Amino acid sequence: MPFAFQSISHHHCLGLFLFSLTRSCESFLDPSLEELLNQLKALGGLAMLSEHLISNLLVLSSPDDLFNFFDKLRGVLAAPEGSSMEEEQTLLDPNSHLGIFIRCCILTFNMLPFEGVCHLLTNLVAYCNSNDSTYEMAEDDDFNGSEFHELLEDPEVYCEAAEFEEYGLENDAQAAENLTHIPSKFLSSFLEDNQASDDPRIKHGDGGSQSGGLIPLLNNNFRTDDNLGVLRSRWQIEGYLNMQADLLEKDAISFPLYSFSATLRQLQKLAPELHRARYLQYLNALYHNDYLSALDELHCYFDYSAGMEGLFSRSPSPSSEFEVGRFETALLCLGTLQCHFGHPKKALEALTEAVRIAQQNNDDSCLAYTLAAICKLLSEIGISNMTGIIGSPYSLGTTTGLGTPLSTQQQLLVLLKRSLERADHLKLTNLLAFNHLALAKFDLKHVKKPLLSFGPKASMKLRTCPTSVCRELRLSSHVLSEFGADGLLQLNDTGAFSTSWLKNLSAVGNPWLKKLQKPRSLSVNDYDTFQFYAQPNPMPGSVLQLAGASYLLRATSWEHYGSAPLVRMNALVYATCFADAASSSELSLAYVKLIQHLSVFKGYTEAFNALKLAEDKFSVSSTHIRLLKLQLLHERALHRGNLQEAQQVCDQFGVLASSVTGVHMELKTEASLRHARTLLAANQFSQAAAVASNLFCTCYKFNMQVENATVLLLLAEIHKKSGDAVLGLSYVLASLSFCKTFNLDLLEASATVTLAELWLSLGSSHAKKASSLIYQALPMILGHGGLELRARANIAVAKCLLADPSYLVSEDPDAVLDPLSQASEELQILEYHEMAAEAFYLMAIIFNSLGRLDERENSAASFKKHVIALENPQDEDNLPTHGV
Amino acid sequence: MSSKESYRVELRSAARQLSDRCLYSAAKWAAELLIDIEPDVHAPASSASSSAASARATPSTSSAARPLSHLHPDASAYRRRLRSAAASGDIAATPPAGVSYISTPVPDDDGFNSDGGNDRYLLAKSYFDCREYRRAAHTLRGQTGKKTGFLRCYALYLAGEKRKEEEMIELDGSLGKSDVVNSELISLERELSSLRRIGSIDSFDLYLYGLILKDKGCESLAVTVFVESVNSFPWNWSAWSELQSLCTNTDTLTKLNLKNHWMKDFFLASTYQELKMHEEALKRYECLLGVFRSSDYIQSQIATALYSLRELDEAEVIFEDLLRNDPYRVESMDIYSNLLYAKECFSALSFLAHRVFLTDKYRPESCCIIANYYSLKGQHEKSVLYFRRALKLNRKYLSAWTLMGHEYVEMKNTPAAIDAYRRAIEINPRDYRAWYGLGQTYEVMNMPFYALYYFRKSSCLQPNDSRLWVAMAQCYESAPLQMLEEAIKCYTRAANSNDSEGIALHQLAKLHGVLGHSEQAAFFYKKDLERMEAEGRQGPNMVEAMLYLARYYKSEKKFEEAEFYCTRLLDYTGPERETAKSLLRGLRIAQTAFPSMDIGHFGS
Repeated sequence: MPFAFQSISHHHCLGLFLFSLTRSCESFLDPSLEELLNQLKALGGLAMLSEHLISNLLVLSSPDDLFNFFDKLRGVLAAPEGSSMEEEQTLLDPNSHLGIFIRCCILTFNMLPFEGVCHLLTNLVAYCNSNDSTYEMAEDDDFNGSEFHELLEDPEVYCEAAEFEEYGLENDAQAAENLTHIPSKFLSSFLEDNQASDDPRIKHGDGGSQSGGLIPLLNNNFRTDDNLGVLRSRWQIEGYLNMQADLLEKDAISFPLYSFSATLRQLQKLAPELHRARYLQYLNALYHNDYLSALDELHCYFDYSAGMEGLFSRSPSPSSEFEVGRFETALLCLGTLQCHFGHPKKALEALTEAVRIAQQNNDDSCLAYTLAAICKLLSEIGISNMTGIIGSPYSLGTTTGLGTPLSTQQQLLVLLKRSLERADHLKLTNLLAFNHLALAKFDLKHVKKPLLSFGPKASMKLRTCPTSVCRELRLSSHVLSEFGADGLLQLNDTGAFSTSWLKNLSAVGNPWLKKLQKPRSLSVNDYDTFQFYAQPNPMPGSVLQLAGASYLLRATSWEHYGSAPLVRMNALVYATCFADAASSSELSLAYVKLIQHLSVFKGYTEAFNALKLAEDKFSVSSTHIRLLKLQLLHERALHRGNLQEAQQVCDQFGVLASSVTGVHMELKTEASLRHARTLLAANQFSQAAAVASNLFCTCYKFNMQVENATVLLLLAEIHKKSGDAVLGLSYVLASLSFCKTFNLDLLEASATVTLAELWLSLGSSHAKKASSLIYQALPMILGHGGLELRARANIAVAKCLLADPSYLVSEDPDAVLDPLSQASEELQILEYHEMAAEAFYLMAIIFNSLGRLDERENSAASFKKHVIALENPQDEDNLPTHGV
Repeated sequence: MSSKESYRVELRSAARQLSDRCLYSAAKWAAELLIDIEPDVHAPASSASSSAASARATPSTSSAARPLSHLHPDASAYRRRLRSAAASGDIAATPPAGVSYISTPVPDDDGFNSDGGNDRYLLAKSYFDCREYRRAAHTLRGQTGKKTGFLRCYALYLAGEKRKEEEMIELDGSLGKSDVVNSELISLERELSSLRRIGSIDSFDLYLYGLILKDKGCESLAVTVFVESVNSFPWNWSAWSELQSLCTNTDTLTKLNLKNHWMKDFFLASTYQELKMHEEALKRYECLLGVFRSSDYIQSQIATALYSLRELDEAEVIFEDLLRNDPYRVESMDIYSNLLYAKECFSALSFLAHRVFLTDKYRPESCCIIANYYSLKGQHEKSVLYFRRALKLNRKYLSAWTLMGHEYVEMKNTPAAIDAYRRAIEINPRDYRAWYGLGQTYEVMNMPFYALYYFRKSSCLQPNDSRLWVAMAQCYESAPLQMLEEAIKCYTRAANSNDSEGIALHQLAKLHGVLGHSEQAAFFYKKDLERMEAEGRQGPNMVEAMLYLARYYKSEKKFEEAEFYCTRLLDYTGPERETAKSLLRGLRIAQTAFPSMDIGHFGS
């Protein structure tokens, strides 16, 4: 025995290490000899092993040594069942992962022509020479420099290593890995030579598609290059690329456009037959908003791969069940690309073509995905009228067969249902979950009307149905829980565990290295926290993402339905549980929700503090965060009465949205809403009303009903302030009915308060009606309302009482003073000077009539303070500079 | 000594120097050119007349040169004076376009230090000639002479290239993509860059250094080095053509700091050709033809340019001439075969194929010609076989990749076609035919929207080619897209850029008709009709146009015109004739029904 293990755990450790070496995908290059030795050292207690590794490298100096090496390597594998085993030798199970790996190596070697063996030898020498100088420093041992030239790995070590128990003797993994790099090249050229000379493409594709165990491994995987390092197996490279793709999506900013594309180009050069690298190039350009090169790379990728690689092979469903490939996928990608860059029309053209080609090729899964993509497009982009955008409604098959043209929303619903059905049928779990989410979104915002425009009408209540939203949301996460049940988990082995294991190993080996690594905000994951005892998350990232999305959607739906605590809870769940899988934009959305909650309930100081933290966490360029900052600044400016600033912020808002019609609808709506509110605050009633009614028209045109409720309420406010209470009444009633239809409870409460205020302004005779309205809404307001709404309600309560002729202040002063003082407190937190002044004014009058002069003076002083602040908004310029 | 004589002297010495350094193709080029210089006639009078004749033959020869030769009957004497001026470093020879050439002294060959050195050189050169490059380099180790130094480096470089080619085959098969690099590059680069730094580098070394830099991908430095090389020794055509391959756009071309030697004209002409500025190239070549009257090279380049300008007949005449002069010529015969293919001359193409086959069947051009022949015969499998052979012989043979793509399209093997086109694009991203081919492939696959991207790319590279615009328009017009407005825009572009097949006008008329723009439709039908009449064509399009026009004028109450078209329609058989008859009847009734209008019409 050339070396002994100090303990069983060392032995296992080495096994795990070798296993990880063949699985890890943190890079596409094999570690250099130096790194390898460092890693071995980090394992601890295996100094002997590295010595052996090195001292035996000598042997391979002629091609014949390589033949001998592989002969010995074969001896390491256990014979098939039945043959006798020597007692103390435990051999490697040929069907284990490492066993297969070694068998692949041997097979490839056997198929090598002599030239290949020569190349192998040269490359081995180069591999050893590449770090002979550094090597000396790394090791304390007293090797001669001359020896380093022949540092070739020796089969002896491995043969003897065969005493390992279950992992067996896998440390030839490394050697074998080196050995296999070129062989396959020959193999593939050999295969190609045998093919009919006229069609390399098709044949190649066939070879790939029957991907059983060995063939794909052998087909293209290992290559080498003298100067650029040693490539890993195809499986590992793909793992690497997938990992980079995930990281890109999560946080594109941490990938500098050019350096990453240079890395990919290197990979392309090393492995030209691996087209996935081009796809990464495309993603890279996409996430860096480089339209032209994204377009080029996309076409390039699909031209080279001929659509054969398929994009969905990484989805956890077994790939044998469905083959999404060929050019419908290209069109699907093109569609999403155009959508990403805000060309809805082009996107729709591409997606319709994708539908057509998918139908033509019977590619059901791609069809399902494409339909889902169309749904996403339709729901995100304002399209008032489908005709003229999609060539004919028949191309999507969305007519009901009754000849009635469908509205965009109806088409969307039909498409969603179709996609859902298909996904269910094809067992595309992710897509199913996605579709449920989309349906939930749809239910949240749209009233379902019967598709038939004639015939006996079922009694329909024209309301959205929160239960159906809830049901879809539940279904979406329910679907995802099937991952565990279906045994789909093993497909999830992306080598991430091995990667992190090795990474941690090197970190443990050099603690200073760990400190050197700049902690990237988003890369902090479980692995780092728990060192290498951590188990990787058993759920695939995409599943986690979808599951997380359902929580985000929950938060949004509660925002609509008006339950602040539930919004906060769901956003918190998302931010804590799904942060690892979330993309930075989604995560920032959760943060935005939390901060918005803070600003509404705790005032601006806290919100801005939190915003600062969020800005540190996400880079400044995160759109959500940027928007949030503008929102906060605008709100505060309005409350403080700093109209100039409010207008500035408003203008910045408008600039953020693309000028293309139909794109960024939400942003545009919000911008004009804020514009109207600014005008209102400046008492420019007619202009404000014009902006608001314009907005109403837009919303109506693009079927944005939920937004309509808000706009109508704003119109009512404008009329209230301008003193035209009667006109205001009609608007507020319209808004109320919208709120009822869409179950917007909080907005409804706020509209009710406005209604009460309007009644009140019509004269004291309506005070009773007004107060009963407010009392109706109070439970909702006190339970879920923010500071501003509560204060408004409180003031309104007090005003109602004061206007009520049957109420005498002297009898029950607390009935008015309590709400007023509470309102004034809340408004002070909000820095809402105008209303705070009003509250103090009322309080002062009441105190005056009660004869409580000291308190009257206090209130009056506060009143004065707020009025002054309102008149000189520039004085309190302690605001953070908003260089957005 | 006339300028021609000086050209001759320069070329003679250059050819010798180049072949001493084993730069064979450049030597060949120089020697060819040497022969091609119009023979001097010794009597001064006839010399003048011959130069006048040359001026007549090439009308673009500068007007400045002509009066000079009249004023000075003894032109050679005048030139001699110029020549003596040139000795002081200024003007030499008669510049054809009013520009003055800089004369570059022919560098002396370095002598050898000892006889032993010379002997070694002789041995090494023999090895080199026997293609034993490494052995040649080994023989020359330690030699200090410039010539031997260059030969050693060049032999090493070629040895590395040879090994590279072998490895490529070993690793990937001949048509595979490969990342194999010449293993000698690094050491050679080190040596040559240090030579350049100390300033003891000569133009040949510079050429080699440029080659190495280009292989390594340091293109901008390579350009500088090549420029240095051609400035100090302009007769090395290989250096010029390497430089040309690096000038992928006019910007780099204009930024080059080149001395004004007459070789520069060759370079510019060929670069213009490469950059698709065919008119400019033609102009230059015609100038050069004034001196190198019988140059086959120039003739073939002119023919190529004419072919690219779609002047097929003129080009064919030149090619035939070329082949008559030099029956064993293979260079640029592939262009000729493309031309014959385009003209569908079966027998001429087969004759050409047979000829080159006998001359040298293992030339990429020969294979390409044979492949073209098979393609014309509709035997696409065989055609592909020969294209693949051509590509095996030269992997960077751009047009073979593209043409092979076309063959695959014919064979409905779209993945292979896409691959071939992509390979062509990889070699030259400005190859509009490959982009066009890709677009066509996707169109065949019924993906017009996807194809649009490729057509857009190709029409961007070749904006004046009507075929590309027509293809794009057809995509927009196709049933799934139905974007007629865009299609009209594309057809308009096509019609404006000299659409020889006349598809654009017809389609424009038709689309306008579909969209109800009857006025425009009538306009385009009329134009189309005029075009067809001018070309003396007949066909269904004509009938369609006349029918539409007849109906249009009838609805516009221009009965006379309507009647004109109706009567013309009567000349045709078929259902349209009956329609025309009934239209005529309707016209008569209408005319009698509105006599007042009729009178007013005749009155005007």
